[in-house]
Amino acid sequence: MRKAVSFLAVAVWTTCMVGSGVAGDTVKVGFVDTYTGPATTFTNDVLDGFKLAAEKINAKGGVLGRKIEYVTRDDKFKPDIGLTMAKELILKENVDILMGTINSATALAVSDLSRKEKIPFLVTFSKSDKITGSMGHRYVFSMNENTEMAGRATAKALSKKPFVKYWIAGDDYEYGHAIASGVFNHLKTLNPKVQLLGESWWKVGETDFTPYITRILSAKPDFVIVATGGAGMVNFQKAAQSTGFNRKVPFYQHTAIELSTLMPQGQNAPEGVYGTANYLFYYPDTKANKTFVDEFRKAYNRYPKSGALYGYMAARFIAESFEKAGKVDREKFIDAMEGMTLDSPVGKMEMRKCDHQVALPMFFGVTKKSPQYDFLIAGDVLSVPGKDYMPTCEETLKARAK
Amino acid sequence: MGFSADLFSTGTLSQLLVGLSRTTILFIVSSGMSLILGVLRIPNVAHGSLYMIGAFAAWTVIQFLGGGLFAFLAAMIVAPMIVAAVGFVLERGFFSYLYDREHLMLLLLTFAFMLILGDLVKIVWGPEYRSVTVPAFFQGSAEIFGLPLPWYNLFLLLVGPCIAVFLWLVINRTNVGKIARAAAVDGEMVGAVGINVGWVFAFTFVLGSFLAGLGGALIAPMVNISLGMDHSLIMETFLIVIIGGLGNMWGALLGSLIFGLTQSLGILVWPQFGIAFPYLAVVAVLVARPRGLLRSTW
Repeated sequence: MRKAVSFLAVAVWTTCMVGSGVAGDTVKVGFVDTYTGPATTFTNDVLDGFKLAAEKINAKGGVLGRKIEYVTRDDKFKPDIGLTMAKELILKENVDILMGTINSATALAVSDLSRKEKIPFLVTFSKSDKITGSMGHRYVFSMNENTEMAGRATAKALSKKPFVKYWIAGDDYEYGHAIASGVFNHLKTLNPKVQLLGESWWKVGETDFTPYITRILSAKPDFVIVATGGAGMVNFQKAAQSTGFNRKVPFYQHTAIELSTLMPQGQNAPEGVYGTANYLFYYPDTKANKTFVDEFRKAYNRYPKSGALYGYMAARFIAESFEKAGKVDREKFIDAMEGMTLDSPVGKMEMRKCDHQVALPMFFGVTKKSPQYDFLIAGDVLSVPGKDYMPTCEETLKARAK
Repeated sequence: MGFSADLFSTGTLSQLLVGLSRTTILFIVSSGMSLILGVLRIPNVAHGSLYMIGAFAAWTVIQFLGGGLFAFLAAMIVAPMIVAAVGFVLERGFFSYLYDREHLMLLLLTFAFMLILGDLVKIVWGPEYRSVTVPAFFQGSAEIFGLPLPWYNLFLLLVGPCIAVFLWLVINRTNVGKIARAAAVDGEMVGAVGINVGWVFAFTFVLGSFLAGLGGALIAPMVNISLGMDHSLIMETFLIVIIGGLGNMWGALLGSLIFGLTQSLGILVWPQFGIAFPYLAVVAVLVARPRGLLRSTW
């Protein structure tokens, strides 16, 4: 009996080895991200964008003659599960590259693992500035903007506006404080005349914003910076619409102009809300963007959101870097990716060498109705180029040295 | 930012009204919980899930009828009835077999139902955010000393007292209400005089569930309907029921008033730490009156 068991074990082991040998003929990308719960509104777009680019690359013969293959794991929005899943992807699936995740705590945990295991990790959607900032390292890359960058981009756009008296408000957790204080502090350095009237903080998941809004209105600020995330984006806009807040005092929310915020509200979203986003399917009105939107809609029958751009470009960066490296080698891959610039649907995108933070434009706009769509879109769009709102290399390296 | 100047400014009245409209939702949901707790002795953790189902069901009804004032009003009746039906199944199918068990067993069962109902909502409605528009009739806001008060909040201010009167009538003026009150004090004795206590319990649970569903349906136009909206509410509801006096309907009203008003006034005087005020009030009440403000039925 015991012999039979050990024979079986050997047989299984050999089959596994052969299996992994076959996997070696592909470039394998492992996703660990949140695929259940409300966050899927954002994460499914990353995966679909990635698939779209990978299929195109594979149709043209793949990377160095190998097909791009991917596997996914659900972290259920929990850092401990995410870390376990990332380990499994490395040990069992033998992935060449790791990607994900929308949860910042998970992203930082997996980033630490990628450093120890020396495996490149391309972060999509997590907005913590620690990823490429104070906790950055050789093996981690960020494919999107972060709270620090959103703060700087918005401050830059707002510094040209005549508003003086500001109020800041938001979800009482790291993301809320990082965005709201980030915008105001940078604004203060750009325009020393601005003053802070007061602040309001509510618990994450707050449903009724009316008492906060009436309180803010009674203080009569010129402009309000609101930092909400997830479901709070729509909740706050609904309260703004019913109180007429947006018609009395202009306010700003990061991602207020994104499709994920505006589409569920249809024609009833508030007009005149200032917001920033990395991607708008109708802007810039270029051939590259139109082609991307058409391809995405043909494949998935919906408009692409920011996540689609992150996923799509991540696949392209992976393919181009391996081509440039000349072989599937992780260290050579990183060297090749550093400083690489690619054309994207929104213009040039550069992977900065010093901190592995992608440089991409930020769009600043105001919500307005449109005859073309049955939801609101962004008008008066101002494009802030990536290099204008990123921390400098010196600032990043100083943060890492601490 | 002087405290006193803010407290006596024109903003105070509008802040009070906004707080009262918030109280309405809290009262409707917590009165349902209090009712079930008082008569059936079930600390129903799944009450928040019933509230969430009410919101999702309202969304479905409004979608089905194509929006507008009629669809909205229909949803306010149909959605709570769907939730009441769910409550009926839960009570007759499960709880009715466990009344002689310990409270801890009942608590565990309701906790299981919270998880099961949460997943059922995900299976039926999916993980995406849902949004219900305030019907055109209630859109916009009234001006009170230059500060806006949405018409929908005013509508809630009308609904609250109506529900309170309705509940008072059911409990004090109907036979089933009187029996339920008697059963709350001594269920065995009520059974001994030949009354079918089981059906009185079923009625109470269904009424409680209806109230949870109504709360969910009423809040639907104000929020983003999403998974997890049950969690934050269940905490507040329990606190309200505890400070009001377990199982006491008027305690639920008093608790909701304390919770809703301390929050909105807290935001007025100290916006940075507004969220702390209702909880400080709860602590103050519990220190002064550990068994709740009004007489508990326990």
